Amino acid sequence: MTFELEVKMAVYRHFAETGVRPSCEQVAERVGTTAGEVVEAYQRLRAQRVLVLEADGISIRMALPFSGVATQHLVKAGSRSYFANCAWDALGIPATLQQPATVYSRCEQSMEPLRLEVGLEGPAGSDWVFHCVVPAAQWWDDIVFT
Amino acid sequence: MLFFRSEERVQQWCRAQDYVQRPIVRMDQLWMLAKTWYSTRLQPDSRRPQPAEMREIFARCGLKDSFWDSEADSFAAPGS
Repeated sequence: MTFELEVKMAVYRHFAETGVRPSCEQVAERVGTTAGEVVEAYQRLRAQRVLVLEADGISIRMALPFSGVATQHLVKAGSRSYFANCAWDALGIPATLQQPATVYSRCEQSMEPLRLEVGLEGPAGSDWVFHCVVPAAQWWDDIVFT
Repeated sequence: MLFFRSEERVQQWCRAQDYVQRPIVRMDQLWMLAKTWYSTRLQPDSRRPQPAEMREIFARCGLKDSFWDSEADSFAAPGS
């Protein structure tokens, strides 16, 4: 396993196990390296579109489908809560964890709350819909907006 | 990438925000996408789908519009 892959896996395991983003120091401890080396790996993982970083270059904004910051898409699985980056990622979290979950979000137009039970075979019958304004070819032009 | 109560709500929102309305995705389609994209994410050999794989995944979910083509260049920027 390459060093970058070790860092990536440490980040993802931390998110999955805690619901929140890890600090560089926490990742370094998991991998057995220094925070400085983790930050260097973050830059390479950002270039590969594995991580999205905050402007400080050391805080994780996104490790898709997990969000490092609070959003309108909350996912509860087992005893843990997670924030998703978007509606797609809200379903992506139970898919990633391979656990049943409850998604809490809203209709962006009416602000009506959404509570969606997601089992191992997907969401219970729902007539809600998903919409994305950004074409796939432009998603990474501004992934936070997307 | 947002949830809406109905297609009508999408139309209202796009009008209010001056966005072009894009294809509507049902929840079962969204689950297929989420599962395909993310079900191996915690495994070391997980990787992002490449453009050709993306096209195939979207098509399998019934999403064949070029909107979903990561190599298409025929779309104006949102809001334009």
